[in-house]
Amino acid sequence: MIGSMKRLKAESAQKESSSLEFERLFMEHWASVYRVLHRLVGDPAEAEDLALEAFLRLYHETEKQKTDGMNAGGWLYRVATRLGLHSIRSWKRREHYELTAGRYALEESEQASPAEILAQQEERGQVRLVLSRMNERQSQLLVLRHSGLSYKEIAEALNLEPGSIGPLLVRAEREFEKQYRALAQEE
Amino acid sequence: MQKHLSDGELRAALDGELDAKFLPHLETCTSCQMRQQQLQEKQREAGRLLAFFNPAEQTVPPAQKAWRRLSQKIMLQKEISMTKKWFSFPLVRFGFAALALLTLFLAFPGSRAWAGEFLNLFRVQQVQVVSVDFTGLEQLTGDGTLGNRFTEMIGDSVDMQQEPSEPVSVASAEEASELAGFEVRIPEGMTPSQINVTSGAAFTFTVDRAKSQALLDEAGRGDLVLPESVDGAEILVNIPSAVSVGFGTCPTPGSEVSGNTEQSTTESRYPDCVIFAQIPSPNVNAPADLDIEALAQIGLEFTGMSAEEAQAFTSTVDWTSTLIVPIPQNASVNEQVAVDGVTGTLVQRSSEASQFVLLWAKDGILYAISGLGTNAEQAVNMANSLP
Repeated sequence: MIGSMKRLKAESAQKESSSLEFERLFMEHWASVYRVLHRLVGDPAEAEDLALEAFLRLYHETEKQKTDGMNAGGWLYRVATRLGLHSIRSWKRREHYELTAGRYALEESEQASPAEILAQQEERGQVRLVLSRMNERQSQLLVLRHSGLSYKEIAEALNLEPGSIGPLLVRAEREFEKQYRALAQEE
Repeated sequence: MQKHLSDGELRAALDGELDAKFLPHLETCTSCQMRQQQLQEKQREAGRLLAFFNPAEQTVPPAQKAWRRLSQKIMLQKEISMTKKWFSFPLVRFGFAALALLTLFLAFPGSRAWAGEFLNLFRVQQVQVVSVDFTGLEQLTGDGTLGNRFTEMIGDSVDMQQEPSEPVSVASAEEASELAGFEVRIPEGMTPSQINVTSGAAFTFTVDRAKSQALLDEAGRGDLVLPESVDGAEILVNIPSAVSVGFGTCPTPGSEVSGNTEQSTTESRYPDCVIFAQIPSPNVNAPADLDIEALAQIGLEFTGMSAEEAQAFTSTVDWTSTLIVPIPQNASVNEQVAVDGVTGTLVQRSSEASQFVLLWAKDGILYAISGLGTNAEQAVNMANSLP
């Protein structure tokens, strides 16, 4: 009986420790995950919801299995970018999406003229659309690289060899340019 | 001579990520330098278009606020999981019988009978909901050690005299009435898509105070002390046959759909399913000297009430005639509604997994109409169109 009580107390302490560890991970990665998503989807509210969804999935992942040695940051970037790209794809009316993104850009910028900002937002809307149409891994690669992640960090997030990032980036950027030009011709 | 660098290596060099061993070659090879320049030209336009991803100054929602939102989401998911186990799932699969089991700890008869005799006072005449924090219950019913010990204790303490049957499908209300032993009611003008009868259950629960107290202690509620007098008390519970009437497209009773799938999936698969469950009041017999109010108070405190709130609640409830139904805190609203000539309680969960349950008791029969979604009005209309 005493043995089982001790075991229960140890398990309870372990649970408490896991909970604190998860909170620490949240505090460490919240801002960076949110920023990537904000740039990806353009809408702060949507970005916040998606970032929370990514952390919620991480929480369930940590409940399912031991996460010792798990690269939580990389895992979060992978899931967050996937959620963001999925969100862009799910927009039924692209115009609505672009207008929403443009509205927030107007609120953000203090220097450029409204016309410049709207032109810039239209361009960003097209970039997002192209990313949503591309192969998911190529899009993730571009988003993470241009968000400032190192090759090592990208490799960890996408389960790739660091040495393969350069060649994959070349291919992804070529594909991006090709699809961006094709989109411009559609309009 | 070292071979020329690939496009990938040249791209890595542009990002300052080239392996140092290739740098001497790049510094001396004009061919590689030219190709790198061409690559840079090609990459420039993509780089410009994607430059806005580079995190500059940017407002980020406060982490503490976001953490609170996340914690609420996690809690809500646990509550939904709990609701499935304790509320929706039994309603769909076993009709009202399993729901009545919830009364075991919270709705015993009052301790006002004769010493040495059993008492048979519990007859449901009204239904009352109580908001509870499911965290403690989740610990007890989860898959963790505490949950396993709780299950083990229940297993050791319960002696089943009659197991409930699996639901039996019948063709008509008349057939259901004959099988269940009471008059089954169907709203006028409505045609059921399925009618199922689950036979009653009977069991005796013998309280093991030491084990129960140990569970409370381990759940972090050592401040709640069970009275010494409960040890060895035998509580007899008799649950009559229940009838579950389905309208619309509903899951087959006994299937795992309502227990193992996500709420949203269930809702999308059975958007128009409404279940009307009916069961005569269960009987609960307990020793006359069992301090039911003290146990009820402990139960309420365990589920989130303060000692004062629990005391106030227990003093207002007539434990001999009230079915207490726990509902998740912060996720449900309930209101009193006039239905079927009596006052019923409408519980609505309007958060991420919308559902509703209308509960009432009339002439010794308990009724519950439940469904997924937000159209609770149909439950009231159904109840008011009963013959």
